[in-house]
Amino acid sequence: MNIEESTLQWQVIGQSVRGAVHQRTGMPNQDAICWRPESGIGSPLVLAIADGHGSPRYSRSHIGARLAVEIAAQLIHNFLTSQSDYNNLSLIKRAVEEWLPRALVHSWIEAVSEHLTKNALPGVERSVRAGNRNDESASESENFTIAYGATIIAVAVAPAFVIYLQLGDGEILTVDDRSQVSRPLAKDERLFANETTSLCAPEAWRDFRVGFQPITNERPALILLATDGYPNSFRDESGFLKVGSDILTAIRAEGVDKVKDNLETWLTDSTNAGSGDDVTLGIICSLESAGGKSKNRTTGITRSGRKNAEPSSSSDLAGADSQ
Amino acid sequence: MSMRPGGELATRPLHFIWIADCSGSMAVDGKIQSLNTAIKEAIPHMQEVADENPNAQVLVRAVKFSDGAQWHVSQPTDIVDFKWDDLTAGGVTAMGMALGIVADQLKIPPMTDRALPPVLVLISDGQPTDDFAGGLQALMNEPWGRKAVRIAIAIGEDADQEVLKKFIANPELKPLQANSPESLTKYIRWVSTAVLKSASSPASQSAAAAASGINVPIPVVPDSGGSSADDVW
Repeated sequence: MNIEESTLQWQVIGQSVRGAVHQRTGMPNQDAICWRPESGIGSPLVLAIADGHGSPRYSRSHIGARLAVEIAAQLIHNFLTSQSDYNNLSLIKRAVEEWLPRALVHSWIEAVSEHLTKNALPGVERSVRAGNRNDESASESENFTIAYGATIIAVAVAPAFVIYLQLGDGEILTVDDRSQVSRPLAKDERLFANETTSLCAPEAWRDFRVGFQPITNERPALILLATDGYPNSFRDESGFLKVGSDILTAIRAEGVDKVKDNLETWLTDSTNAGSGDDVTLGIICSLESAGGKSKNRTTGITRSGRKNAEPSSSSDLAGADSQ
Repeated sequence: MSMRPGGELATRPLHFIWIADCSGSMAVDGKIQSLNTAIKEAIPHMQEVADENPNAQVLVRAVKFSDGAQWHVSQPTDIVDFKWDDLTAGGVTAMGMALGIVADQLKIPPMTDRALPPVLVLISDGQPTDDFAGGLQALMNEPWGRKAVRIAIAIGEDADQEVLKKFIANPELKPLQANSPESLTKYIRWVSTAVLKSASSPASQSAAAAASGINVPIPVVPDSGGSSADDVW
């Protein structure tokens, strides 16, 4: 199966808002969000979000988060578009599990090193050499990536499968056509009490949680990615899980674009009345599940059909203003 | 479209627990009165800190221990409504039992995993007379016990520093030595304000970095003022 033969089209929308605490203290939003293609519609499609650590020692974590999402989205998109055969699932799955986390971490370290070379940390005199910044043997003073520490969550939807990658806290939810909400990845017990696995940790690729879901008869109607500031804003877990089914209902009733228009208000309300942390929510929506309510919906799609039309105009395309 | 998705929103709870020694020796030289006064005076300052960060709900409780241990303030009480009834001294030092009943309340549930790290403040002038190791083990067996910000204040020179160090379980943070009502007030104020403020931040950090034991940045500890003629304990 090649890209042109894909039977599903996807659209991404998303928003990141500065947390109430950061607004009061004058701190920047340390979350980031990015997707590819930039149009936010198509297949394959990649969405990435990141959460920079907020503690004082992570003084550049907002930059680390931005670099993380840009690298993850582009790297995974390049990986997917370079595949000649989407049906070779075992080969792709192996590459996703074994190669992608390492490649992502290495690319992030290189980007951090490059940024640091151009923008030295105050008091840091020594030169920066790419490649050894988070060696396990490096002391904290030698590990310059610490200042950029961030989590990363990335999800990619391709014609025959969905990829889930997560390093650190935050949530991925999937919602099926019957509005059943579930988590595609197992819980990481280390993510507790404001502590998280991180891109700046030694051998960070070992800490990734990776999921690979072939698309057969069942596929998610929605996939939601959220930084931890969002689930922490709800009184209990059920209140957060309800977000998934509520958004699917809203998309079916009023369309993707209407939901997109409301995201900033919803997330701002959540941080103000909830955790106070930065809040980021990215949503990948199966246009088939949107029920014809998206202006961007590719027409003529059936479960066994082929796409036969592109979005009507570039002005309809979602997302560019959120990045 | 105005319906916000999801269930009820809520700020994150921050549990702050005083664990106070009420053994007979605390009646000597006015220690228990000084402790009561210091905590009472700290309440409005804690309320100010809570006001500055409305996204953290500061909930305060207190445990007292002497011949046994029991909750002095059993319900997690919003700092806005928190009042301090004076403690009285008498009996021995059942510190291990006190840690045990704190451990029971740090289980999930009743705690939630979305809470901010709790702050536990152990104040003692003596040596435990019960199974301290067992109580500490019970505390450390709970995820929130291990991840709590644990501060210890030693009142007077007879306080068992080694026991308090084991409670803190972090070589970078030593027990605070209060040898006078003034220094006790200073330390109570510090933990009630600076530590509380730090713990109420939603900032995260790498678990690898937190392996050293401190998952909340500990503010600079105030100078006790050193030994002086004012030292009474």
